[in-house]
Amino acid sequence: MFFHIVLERNMQLHPRYFGRNLRDNLVAKLMKDVEGTCSGRHGFVVAVTGIENVGKGLIRDGTGFVTFPVKYQCVVFRPFKGEILEAVVTMMGFFAEAGPVQIFVSNHLIPDDMEFQSGDMPNYTTSDGSVKIQKDSEVRLKIIGTRVDATEIFCIGTIKDDFLGVINDPVAI
Amino acid sequence: MSGEEEENAAELKIGDEFLKAKCLMNCEVSLILDHKYEQLQQSSDDPMNQVSQVFEKSLQYVKRFSRYKNPDAARQVREILARYQLAEFELCVLGNLCPETVEEAIAMVPSIKVDIFFFSFV
Repeated sequence: MFFHIVLERNMQLHPRYFGRNLRDNLVAKLMKDVEGTCSGRHGFVVAVTGIENVGKGLIRDGTGFVTFPVKYQCVVFRPFKGEILEAVVTMMGFFAEAGPVQIFVSNHLIPDDMEFQSGDMPNYTTSDGSVKIQKDSEVRLKIIGTRVDATEIFCIGTIKDDFLGVINDPVAI
Repeated sequence: MSGEEEENAAELKIGDEFLKAKCLMNCEVSLILDHKYEQLQQSSDDPMNQVSQVFEKSLQYVKRFSRYKNPDAARQVREILARYQLAEFELCVLGNLCPETVEEAIAMVPSIKVDIFFFSFV
């Protein structure tokens, strides 16, 4: 799920950046440092949307660097266990992607009446052929677990519950 | 498989920070990311180089899964859903998934059935 939240970060700035463009330099460095990163607590930082506050700079002892506490607004993507969302199938196994996060749906969590068919276009199909899941299919799945490592969050999902599985074309209003 | 042990979106256990935070539907994220991308285009020749993979993937995703292409429609949906006592998270899941029946809605957002149960006695 996407959220718009306020985060805080201590930015260290080298004296070469002091001067008229100090604030711009600070903001540029913030975006470079933070956009695209991921943490277990807040999820993926997709984009910084604004700066709320830049505190007073504190000169570090022994070096000329100055630390500024910066409060900024950003869009984050944070998947939750138990959350139901839509995703695109990328590979048989099957793996799906919802924005920046990868989700794995194992055979055990795919309905029993769907069988794996290997071949040129490997897919999962129901016994009567009416429903097919293949690369680029859109599916609705439920996240049943998340794992966080240093740089990303990885999820395990299921399509075995009611109202989950392949999506029909969404209607655009 | 580790993660926050008590977390469970089905019971709206997503942590105080996120319960109080502003939740965004895919169509709303699409507007924000589009705007940001335009800003980058104006200030540099090669905006594609400036954005992270996370940004690109998110932009592609919200464009593909936006239910409402029209920002006014998105605003109306939020206004209508806001009339019910829903948490931000519940509102956005409903807005994103557009369940067609009550059963589907409860399956998508199990935490709302508590309210339905309560109100059916009032």
